[in-house]
Amino acid sequence: MTTKTVLALVLFGGLSGLVAATPTLTEKIRGEKPARTRSEVQQRVDWPRENPPRPLPARPVTFPPYELRKLANGMQVVLVSQNEQPVVSVRMIIRAGAAHDPKGKHGLAMLTATLLDQGAGTKTAEQIAETIDFIGGALGTGAGTDLSYVNAVVMKDSYDIALDLLADVVQRPTFAPEEIERQRQQALSALKVAAEDPESVADRVIDRLIYGFHPYGMPGAGTTESLTGLTRADFVDFHKKYFVPNNALIAVVGDIGAAEAMAGLEKHFGAWKPGEVPALAVTEPPDATRRVIVIDKKDAVQTEIRVGHIAIPRKHNDYEAIDQAVKILGGEGANRLQQVLRSQKQLTYGASADLDTFKWAGAVIAETDTQTSNTAEALRVVVDEFTRLQRERVSDGELEGAQDYMVGHFPLTIEVPDAIATQVLNQLFYELPVDELPKYRERVLRVTPDEIQRVARWFIRPSQLSIVLVGDADKFVNDLKGVGFGTFERIPIDRVDLLSVDLMKRQGATRP
Amino acid sequence: MKKLSILLLALIAAAVTIYYVPLQAAVRPPKLEYQRLVLPNGMVVILHQDKSTPIVHVELWYHVGSKNEKPGRTGFAHFFEHLMFKGSRNVEPEQHTSIIASVGGQANAYTNEDTTVFWQTIPAQYLPLVLWMEADRMASLRIDQNTFVTEREVVKEERRMRIENPPFGLLNELITFNAFDVHPYKHPVIGSMTDLNAATIDDVRDFYKTYYVPENATLMIVGDFDTDTVTNLVNQYFARVPKAAKPVPRDIPVEPQHTKEKRVTLEQPWPLPAIVVTYHVPYNGHPDSYPMFVMSKTLSDGQTSRIYRKLVYDTGLALTAFGSSSFLEQPGIFSAVALVNPGKSPDDVEKALIAEFDKLKTAGITERELQRAKNQFARDYVVSRLSIKEKASQLGHAEVIQKDMASADGEFDTFLKVSLDDVKRVAQKYFVPEGRMVMRIMPRGGVVEKVEK
Repeated sequence: MTTKTVLALVLFGGLSGLVAATPTLTEKIRGEKPARTRSEVQQRVDWPRENPPRPLPARPVTFPPYELRKLANGMQVVLVSQNEQPVVSVRMIIRAGAAHDPKGKHGLAMLTATLLDQGAGTKTAEQIAETIDFIGGALGTGAGTDLSYVNAVVMKDSYDIALDLLADVVQRPTFAPEEIERQRQQALSALKVAAEDPESVADRVIDRLIYGFHPYGMPGAGTTESLTGLTRADFVDFHKKYFVPNNALIAVVGDIGAAEAMAGLEKHFGAWKPGEVPALAVTEPPDATRRVIVIDKKDAVQTEIRVGHIAIPRKHNDYEAIDQAVKILGGEGANRLQQVLRSQKQLTYGASADLDTFKWAGAVIAETDTQTSNTAEALRVVVDEFTRLQRERVSDGELEGAQDYMVGHFPLTIEVPDAIATQVLNQLFYELPVDELPKYRERVLRVTPDEIQRVARWFIRPSQLSIVLVGDADKFVNDLKGVGFGTFERIPIDRVDLLSVDLMKRQGATRP
Repeated sequence: MKKLSILLLALIAAAVTIYYVPLQAAVRPPKLEYQRLVLPNGMVVILHQDKSTPIVHVELWYHVGSKNEKPGRTGFAHFFEHLMFKGSRNVEPEQHTSIIASVGGQANAYTNEDTTVFWQTIPAQYLPLVLWMEADRMASLRIDQNTFVTEREVVKEERRMRIENPPFGLLNELITFNAFDVHPYKHPVIGSMTDLNAATIDDVRDFYKTYYVPENATLMIVGDFDTDTVTNLVNQYFARVPKAAKPVPRDIPVEPQHTKEKRVTLEQPWPLPAIVVTYHVPYNGHPDSYPMFVMSKTLSDGQTSRIYRKLVYDTGLALTAFGSSSFLEQPGIFSAVALVNPGKSPDDVEKALIAEFDKLKTAGITERELQRAKNQFARDYVVSRLSIKEKASQLGHAEVIQKDMASADGEFDTFLKVSLDDVKRVAQKYFVPEGRMVMRIMPRGGVVEKVEK
């Protein structure tokens, strides 16, 4: 067993832009023109005109202590001890998710994860539920794009019970035929609901456009055909291949000391046999290509809009600069899209852009929704913002604002022990150095407007955008030409097929 | 002999496990300590110190929600919440959130049936800034015809996004509309498009003067601060906000006793039929609300819960099924909802849901279910007090909704005292056919697809 203790490093308090930020703040508060004309101030008293108060002295912000360990069988362990509340959470990650679904077996990772706690070891599904519910615990399983997870939260005196359950669920799931059928039916019904939900349809179609037939473009929740075709052997095989300790990370978080935490892990996971994990053969996703898909849903009152293209995987030299560029476009603390679409034009309740970064690839995706008649106008604004980000240099002030938020926000991200564990798990999962964590401030502030301009030039591609519009097509398609998108493919919502090249289900024929 | 005594011990142990598993002392969460101050203008201030991270959470509760709306003005309380971000004497329009963001903080607000809450979490050194800004908009909001008209469009998009566009988005609205006759809980918090359009700038002025006053406000400050400093700051910025000219009105229409079961059948363009069963329940904090809460756990918390087990797991009647109680300031409803799986009968689903309520009346719950509900409650209690934001929310609820600060902590013990008899008595009192509403919402077009195996 290797033991490595990481010491907490002090992140110096105060904010980089503090000196510069104070006048900016006053400016924002006072506005440029001192006198207001049109609007009336509803004064209750002779309310004074005054400058904002100065901040109090800042306390230093430190990344909280945690420990990294490893079991002899290769399972990586993160320990975060904090005793404010008498609760312990155990979070386990397996390095295999929907991206590992074999061809034609879409939904396998998702259903495997769902079935883990539906019978394991000597316990039936009912007994597992009864055990966790009775102690007032919670147990959750699921699969994401690159990973599967099992989480448990229990009161601290039930740590051993939680590990006992987790060990069964992760190492010895039963995959009983009747539970497979039950969960398959649930998954099929859920698919039916999702197929009529504009938001869900828009998300699935934009991923498919951006990633093509790369695993990240495939439907992780499965299709009717793929779910129907899955057999018990598929689940057993998927589990055997990927659920091994050398492919797993576990975090024990909360009101528990390192010695007790480790003793429990050794007891319940020490005998788990390592295995050889097959490498995933992943091809490159396709190059960004302009393509516009209109999905027709007759009764929609809003159009769901998605605009994006391929970007970078999480582990990338330009990650920090690209992340900040996307935050300026549509992230927390900045967000040009929200400013224009909501604050200036009242076209939407919310607009944002995300940088999704996974193990092998990633994408920048902007999203908003607007009432049907404003579809073309909202789309134009989103596309214009991609163009502007690529062409115009970001001003010092705007970047400073985005960075002030990120740096100032840091203490908010280390408040609860689970959030601390998440940050450590992320670094480990993406094979990034954990000693980056306490240096967050330096990493953020290293990025300059020149850097943003350099990365925006190569990675933002306004003329190669994938676009998805889900709404009442008849009422907006005629406007699309006027905003430069006269060429589009139109698909009725009940004929969307993520596995065909043109995304359209053949009528009267079933796909092989 | 020896053998027998071991057997006897095992029996005793089993009995202990089954009947007396008490919540161990170690699991009793720490007491939620607080200080309560009242300013001369009537504003209540609740302080809770937590120095574990150098951040602070400030939450200002105005005791006004959708139940205070005038007829024909549904959605107004929430709409007004948006207008609070449109600038005040010393803060430019739209700048509140970006000022908070520029120091790394987060700010937002929400409105429900009973309250409107403005919150911000910030690095601790910016506490003076936040208090100053909150006081500024309490005392000197800018009200502008143009802003009022344009912001209404944002609220309408919010309604389209949350309610009108997603499948099942209208579900809650349909439930409350049919379950209540006159109480304003009948109306959705976000309001109707017609009422939003009917609102005028005079309504805005009137609402501000009536409800956004210190005696209707409760300020929660939770996190890393020094008590003397914070007391001085609160006095400096809030004590100068004058009292309102008139008392805050509290005349809410009372829901009459229901005397007959109500049945409703509707159509919606949804992928699956939905069956809803509701009953009227007491207000949050009423002695009967604790046994009611136990029943909501037994019916609907976890895979062992009765509704999940019966409708989803054992019979596959429903894709999803759950029950929840509204626990509001005034008497609300308990509703159970099930989405009928393809090929299953809505009649069977309705019968199965009602049967679960009837069983509570005739047989109550088991000792083990009671203990499970209490353990689940203890977990919820602990995990809803992890962050400073969650703690502020608990404190606000105790002060404003329960009107009893001691309940922020004491509720833990009240809950543990609930007995099997309490549960049965309360089930018999509230889960009566006369108080029931049964609603079926069928997919438009009528034909339910069958997937038979």
